[in-house]
Amino acid sequence: MSSKLRLFFIENAVVILFVVLIAFAIPVSGLPGTFLMQEILTRLGRNTFLVIALLLPIMAGMGLNFGMVLGAMAGQLGLIFITDWNIVGIPGLLLAMIISLPISVFLGWLCGSIMNLAKGREMVTGFILAFFMNGLYMMVVLYAMGSLIPIMNPELLLSRGYGIRNVIGLDGVRQSLDTLIPLKVAGLNIPVFSFLIIAAVSFFIIWFRKTKIGQDMRAAGQDRAVSGAAGIPVEQTRILAIIISTVLAGIGQIIFLQNLGTINTTSSHEQIGMFSIAALLIGGASVTKASIPNVIVGVILFHLLFLVSPMAGKNLIGSGMLGEYFRQFVSYGVIALALVLYEWKRVTQENDSRATLRGGGTPAAKEAKGGAA
Amino acid sequence: MTSRSLFQRSCVLLGFIALSVYLFYIGKGHTLLIDTNAVTINGKELRSPETIEVSIDGKPAESMGRAERILILAGGPRHTITIEVLSGDDKKVEKQFTIPTFMDSAVVSVPAILGDAPPEFWVTTFTAPPVEEAPAEQMQHEQDAPEATTEISPNATAPGQQKP
Repeated sequence: MSSKLRLFFIENAVVILFVVLIAFAIPVSGLPGTFLMQEILTRLGRNTFLVIALLLPIMAGMGLNFGMVLGAMAGQLGLIFITDWNIVGIPGLLLAMIISLPISVFLGWLCGSIMNLAKGREMVTGFILAFFMNGLYMMVVLYAMGSLIPIMNPELLLSRGYGIRNVIGLDGVRQSLDTLIPLKVAGLNIPVFSFLIIAAVSFFIIWFRKTKIGQDMRAAGQDRAVSGAAGIPVEQTRILAIIISTVLAGIGQIIFLQNLGTINTTSSHEQIGMFSIAALLIGGASVTKASIPNVIVGVILFHLLFLVSPMAGKNLIGSGMLGEYFRQFVSYGVIALALVLYEWKRVTQENDSRATLRGGGTPAAKEAKGGAA
Repeated sequence: MTSRSLFQRSCVLLGFIALSVYLFYIGKGHTLLIDTNAVTINGKELRSPETIEVSIDGKPAESMGRAERILILAGGPRHTITIEVLSGDDKKVEKQFTIPTFMDSAVVSVPAILGDAPPEFWVTTFTAPPVEEAPAEQMQHEQDAPEATTEISPNATAPGQQKP
C-alpha cells in the first residue's frame, strides 16, 4: 500500500468506519430511499448551521466549543419571548435572533474570558461552564419568567403562575424558513432558504479566514506564544472566536427549533453541543482541524446513522432500543475517540520533537536508518 | 473608545432597536374569527349568503355556511380577504383591512364586507363570553354539597366556603 493511500486511511478512519457502518445498516433497516433522502435534506437544513458554529474556535486553537450550549440557551430565550408576544413568521424568527444576539455576545464574552484563564483546558472548561450556565438558565426560565420578567401569555406559564412550561409550541414560526421558497424535486421537499442561509454562513467562514482577524485566529491557534510575540492580541482574538461561535449557535438553535416546531424549554439546548460536536468529528474533523466539507459529511453520516440504527436494531435483534443505545454510544464514543487520538498525536509529536532536539531524529527516522544499515 | 466608534456603535444599536420595532409591527400575530352571523349596522340588517368560500392572504379557501365562525391565524397588520359567494348570485369580493397591532383576537364580519358597510364595521374586537360551568362540573358540585338547593336561601353558602 502506498504511503499516500495509508495516510488517507489514517486521516479518514472515522469517516470510512461510519460509511461502512451505514452501508451495512441501511439495507438491514429496510427504510425506503426516498424517506431517507427526505429526512437527510430536512436534517441538513436543520442542523448544519449549528455545526458550522464550531469551526472558528477550532481555528483559534480552542478545540471543540462545548460552550456553544450557551448560545443555544440565548436562542431559546429569544424564541420564548416572540412566542409570548405572538410574533409570527419570518419577522418572528428575525426578532428572536435579534433578542438572542446581545445575550449570546455577553455569554460568549464570559465563556471566552473564562477559557483564557484556563488555556489548554478549554474543552473541559466549556463543558462545565455549560452545566453551570444551565443552572442559571433554569433559574431564569423557571423562576424569573412570569415573576420578574413579565410574560403576558398565561398559556406559556406553569399552573403556579410563574415559570415557563416544559414544552412550548412554536406554531407561529414553525418551518417558516424551510417553506419560504417552496421547491419539490422528485417528490422531495427541499428547504431552499435554509440551504441558502447555510451557504451564506459557509461563505462568511471562508471569507473570515482570509481577513486579518481570521489570520490572527489561525496564528493564535498554531502557537500562542509566537503570535503574542508577533503583536497579535491573542486573548482578545480567542474571545472573539468564542463570541462569534456563541452568536452562530444562538441563530443555529433558532433555525433548528423552527424546523422542529416545539421547544423543550428545559432540555432542548442540552444535547445540542454533544450532537453537533459528534457530527463534526464523524465528518472527519479533529480537535485542531475542521472545515465546511467536514460539517456537511458529518451531518449526513451522523443523521443517517440516527435514522437507520433504531430500525436496523429492531430488525436484527427485535428491539428498537438497541439502535437508540447504539446512537448514544456513537455520539459519546466518537467524541472520546477524537480526544484520545488528539492526545495521542500531541504526545507523539512532543516525543518526536524532543528526539529531534537531542539529535537522534524521530523514532521513525531511526527505524528507517537501522533498516537501511 | 473614541467618539467616532462610540457614535458608530450607537448607530448600530439604534438600528437594531428600530429593526426590532419594525419586525414586531409587521410580525404581530392575530387570531381572526371569520364570522357569517347577521349584523345590524345603522338599523339595517345584513345577512350572509347561504354558502361562501373565504380565504385570507391567499391561504387555502374555507367553505362557510350561515351563522358560522372559523378561526384563522394571521401575522401582520394588513390582510386581504377574498370571499366567493357560492349560492345565489355568484360573486367574488376581495377587500383589504387592517388590524390594530395590539388586538390579539378580531372578529371579521363577512356580512358587513359583502353588504358594503363602512370599513370600521368589518373588524371588531373579540370579547370572550363569560365562562359558564359545564354540566359535569355542576353535577360534581351538587354531589359535593347535597344540601344545596336551586332556590337561594339567606343561610346558603357557596361550595368550598366554610360555615361560621
